[in-house]
Amino acid sequence: MDFKRIEVIFLIVFFSLDIFLFLSFRNSQQLVSSTNTNTSTITEMRKRNISFGSLDTKNGYAYYLGSQPDESLAQNVSKLRNQKVSYEDVNHSISSALSDPIEVKASNRKSVMDKFIKKESNVLFGKDYKYSPQLSSGSQIVYVATTRLGEVYDKTAQLIFSVSDGEVIGYTQTYVKSMIILHERQAIKSEKDVITSLYANSEIPNNSKISYANLAYTKLLEAKDSTIYIPVWFVTIKNKDSKVVTTKKVNAFTGNIIKSSTNGDSSYNAQ
Amino acid sequence: MKISRLIVQLLLVVAVITSVVLSFFIWTNTARYQRGRNIDVTSADSNKNEIPMNQVISPTSVIWHDESEQHLIYNSNENISLSVQKIMQDWKISSPKEVSKKDGAYYQKIIQGKNMLQLVYPTSITTNVFGYLLNNDSLKDEKGNQFNRILINLKDKKDQNIYLANDSNYAVYKAKVKNASSIPLTKLVKRANVDLKIRLDIMKHGVFIFYTEPIKLKSYSYVISGKKDSEYTTALFDSNTNGLVTSADNDVYTYNYGESKRLTSDHNTEELTFDDYTDTSVPKTQLAFLQRGYQKVTNLQNSISNLRLYNANWKDKDLVFREYVEGFPIFKKSQFGSIRIKFSRKGSSEHFLNKVLEVPVPSNQAATKLKSTNEIFKGLQRVGFSPNDVQSVEVGYQWETETDNEKVVDLKPTYYIKIDGHWRPYNEWTNESAEED
Repeated sequence: MDFKRIEVIFLIVFFSLDIFLFLSFRNSQQLVSSTNTNTSTITEMRKRNISFGSLDTKNGYAYYLGSQPDESLAQNVSKLRNQKVSYEDVNHSISSALSDPIEVKASNRKSVMDKFIKKESNVLFGKDYKYSPQLSSGSQIVYVATTRLGEVYDKTAQLIFSVSDGEVIGYTQTYVKSMIILHERQAIKSEKDVITSLYANSEIPNNSKISYANLAYTKLLEAKDSTIYIPVWFVTIKNKDSKVVTTKKVNAFTGNIIKSSTNGDSSYNAQ
Repeated sequence: MKISRLIVQLLLVVAVITSVVLSFFIWTNTARYQRGRNIDVTSADSNKNEIPMNQVISPTSVIWHDESEQHLIYNSNENISLSVQKIMQDWKISSPKEVSKKDGAYYQKIIQGKNMLQLVYPTSITTNVFGYLLNNDSLKDEKGNQFNRILINLKDKKDQNIYLANDSNYAVYKAKVKNASSIPLTKLVKRANVDLKIRLDIMKHGVFIFYTEPIKLKSYSYVISGKKDSEYTTALFDSNTNGLVTSADNDVYTYNYGESKRLTSDHNTEELTFDDYTDTSVPKTQLAFLQRGYQKVTNLQNSISNLRLYNANWKDKDLVFREYVEGFPIFKKSQFGSIRIKFSRKGSSEHFLNKVLEVPVPSNQAATKLKSTNEIFKGLQRVGFSPNDVQSVEVGYQWETETDNEKVVDLKPTYYIKIDGHWRPYNEWTNESAEED
């Protein structure tokens, strides 16, 4: 018997077995690491010319918050000077027309208005609001309410200045005096989770820019005379071709995309 | 000629050794490989609600014994029990060793130990399950031993152990802990904003929490949600619902999917039962038992952040889940809690309520002051129930639907007493209010 030939055959057999074993071993390794799909989504997005800054991967915590109707604006309306003010009971809001319109330029409007709202005779509770470039536009300068638990992006707690021909002519204001925590803190989606899920749901077109991604509280529903707020990610996407700007809202607890109904209010089904 | 032969032989030896080494790697790696795949599947599944298993199966009561007395503590802004678990995930816990068993006196001493932080599960779990929930490899392979209390000494620096205790057989286990610090735990204890004086006492039917003084508890309100029958059938039957047979009898709707699956929905009580006659495999390990229960629960309801495992009966393969508010269970107007799951060789069955707490709303009700537990026992004695008849006492929240607003439910605290296997509020046993005058 040719022993040498057997040796060679054995060598070939074992060699192919080694290759097979090595491949299956590598396969199993890949499966373990395949949980890391988010990174690949990010590279895919970059390839499709979607630009964005670095995304925060930290999962934070947030609360269900509640507020009760508040008459602070109505009670303090007499403190305002040099403006024609009307108070609306239903929305608990102030509408004001300034006697002397303020001239603003795109470059200085934040600093001018920041200074303006500090004075109590100009705007009530001005220190509780903060300029929001994300919600502002050419005709509106939007200030949002800030609480110790975070900012509120909602019609029920906003200060909106109307701009006409380079002048601020008046404002509307709603106010929330205090927010109460209704439930223990809950984990929320990270910025990265939200953006990758928006992309996966075809909400981010190719060749666009994510200009803002902010977490803020917004009204979910009204029940028992109280307003309930939940944390929502506000993601603003600018299409580089058409220059159209859209803001998507994502429920930070569930990660569900909130579709706005026709009147602009987020529907309760967003849950 | 000879050299070439030597090379062939040498290569052959190398090839054989390589194949052996590679086989060894693949063999030892299988566990990891399969687990990796499992994680993949579950993370895809849980994406829609994202409530991890160690939140559903988690301790519900936190007890702190300072230098003088025991307190049931809670933080309404942050769940202490979940935060402690998160801290424990970084600890290196070695496998537990038995310290004592069936020694009631010693057991009482352990659960009343000073400077002890105690986390209490509503039902006992195995150390194996505990290791899985904490993602702790050294605990993972430990089998069989059950416990429902975790005790951690926060002051004694020499005691580098955690203790696991089981109410049903008074067993105490000790597990060595490395890489741990008591500082974050002490901080969590200090941040608690609900603090009720208690005493843990061993009674005939187990360890009871005695509130030594009248307790003041808040009321809560929630917006509740439910699903339509069709949403359940799509989730529970395979997506193909063509072969569905429907029948209705007095508001009781039955949906049959061939002979294999059936959903019964009672629109009056909003109780549903789902039977799956194809699901005939009975879980072989306690871990699989709870994992499958968790999977079924996530499949049933969208919002399970308040849901906790309340009772696991391994012998009958029966699981009960209840919703909790601020560490106290909610008793709805059903005998089974929120969800009951049973596995058997004939198929699995799921019994559940179509009413889930969804969004908390500010409650306009005043806080309730409940009697001390001693007073409750006295009241029960007056109507003829001796302390030995009482199988369990628990402060829980009663579910009261508002008549003018069906979507909002009020939760009011009261004492729930289990006698003869039935849970009932104190006033139904005694015709007396559990509230302090």
